[in-house]
Amino acid sequence: MINYHPDQHLLSLHAKGELPLSMSIAISAHAEFCQHCQQQLDQMTIALSEQQFEQADAKNTAAFEKHGEFDDLLSQFLSSTLDTLDTDVRLANNSTSQPESTDNSVTIKGQHYALPRVFKKQINASWQGIGKVSRLRLDTGEPQARASLLHIAANGEIPDHTHKGSELTLLLAGEFSDCYNTYKPGDFMLLDQDHEHSPKTTEGCLCYTIVDAPLYFTKGISKLLNPIGDLLY
Amino acid sequence: MENVQSQSAQTRYDKGHLAQRSSNQRNGAMKSDEPNPLADELAQLMMQVANNRCKTSFAKLFSHFAPKINSFGVQRLSQQGLAMDLVQETMSRVWTKAHLYNADKAAVSTWVFTVMRNQCFDMLRKVQHNREDAFGDDIWPLFESDDAENNDDDFLLSASLLQHVEELPPLQRQVVQGIYMQELTQQELADKLNIPIGTVKSRLRLGLEKLKSFMEKHYD
Ligand SMILES: [Zn+2]
Repeated sequence: MINYHPDQHLLSLHAKGELPLSMSIAISAHAEFCQHCQQQLDQMTIALSEQQFEQADAKNTAAFEKHGEFDDLLSQFLSSTLDTLDTDVRLANNSTSQPESTDNSVTIKGQHYALPRVFKKQINASWQGIGKVSRLRLDTGEPQARASLLHIAANGEIPDHTHKGSELTLLLAGEFSDCYNTYKPGDFMLLDQDHEHSPKTTEGCLCYTIVDAPLYFTKGISKLLNPIGDLLY
Repeated sequence: MENVQSQSAQTRYDKGHLAQRSSNQRNGAMKSDEPNPLADELAQLMMQVANNRCKTSFAKLFSHFAPKINSFGVQRLSQQGLAMDLVQETMSRVWTKAHLYNADKAAVSTWVFTVMRNQCFDMLRKVQHNREDAFGDDIWPLFESDDAENNDDDFLLSASLLQHVEELPPLQRQVVQGIYMQELTQQELADKLNIPIGTVKSRLRLGLEKLKSFMEKHYD
């Protein structure tokens, strides 16, 4: 039984595609464990798509200001792009390129773990660590957040620590406890900087974590980062 | 003073050639059993594109979706040029992935929204982090058959299904039988039939989809 879930706000930003990659991975992985959140995400996506595509949009001025551009793009599709796309697909099917790896598993200290689908492109790096604690850094390309897989071997613990920003922990396998509670696979815990905790595990565990991300997670990217601003400054 | 020309363009692109849902229909939008003429029409057009590569149907889908994708792109990517790129990329995928669309799993609007959002996510990463890593479809599965390989194993376990293998077109039947009855790997089958493995995969997918639709027809 999963007891800890992302809140409505995070789920709704995720359905819109407005969270950074590190957090999108966490919500997507949680939803693979959690039918309840998956259903909410599906409902939100349906509602968003109806709002975007099935309602008359009174303020859609682009529709007539840019009708020439749409016409041009459509003509281009019909006269050549569609045929080119079909040719490309046929060539891709005929080439003997190696099939995309579908191995979503990691092995650490003799333990083999199958991971949620969303990790499949991310797990090529190597493990690093001391003692019972090992870490595999994921390269999300986000300077604001550090995302990793964290493995704690049986009877291990992480020393007391606080965080500068928030810390997200998604338990993927095994169990751990801190002074607040005991956690099960799928549990999604977002702690702010004032929490102090020292997780311990008796049977060992594997988590996905994101740390040191002041204010980074919980706002939509489009609000937090102006893509054009990012290029200019 | 109304501008006649822009009014007609508005009509054409805001409505496409398709009916909008009326507001009282919209209020009950979550109920899937309610009649929804727009959704049905979009589904018909998708079928035409998927099965017959029908460009006229694609043009109608384009007229309906393109301006709306553009307005999503303008909000999200805050740049006109990128918004048009989003229209182009999304509509290209509608064309190339049409055969993966499954009307039982999602409305066309929801499927196109998913394709668009995933594409937009990847474009934003490119702009913000200079990354070309295309995570969108891993994060949000497309309500369709990209993960069909896992699900299909389950439904293939039902013996009733295999009764329908004989009804498949010969090329698809050959592949389905090879994989599931002779238990060859896709590579072994490709070598044996002297066809590329991609062709094995696509015939297998088409065959499984057809089997699924036989099942639904017979057992619904
Ligand atoms: Zn949940």
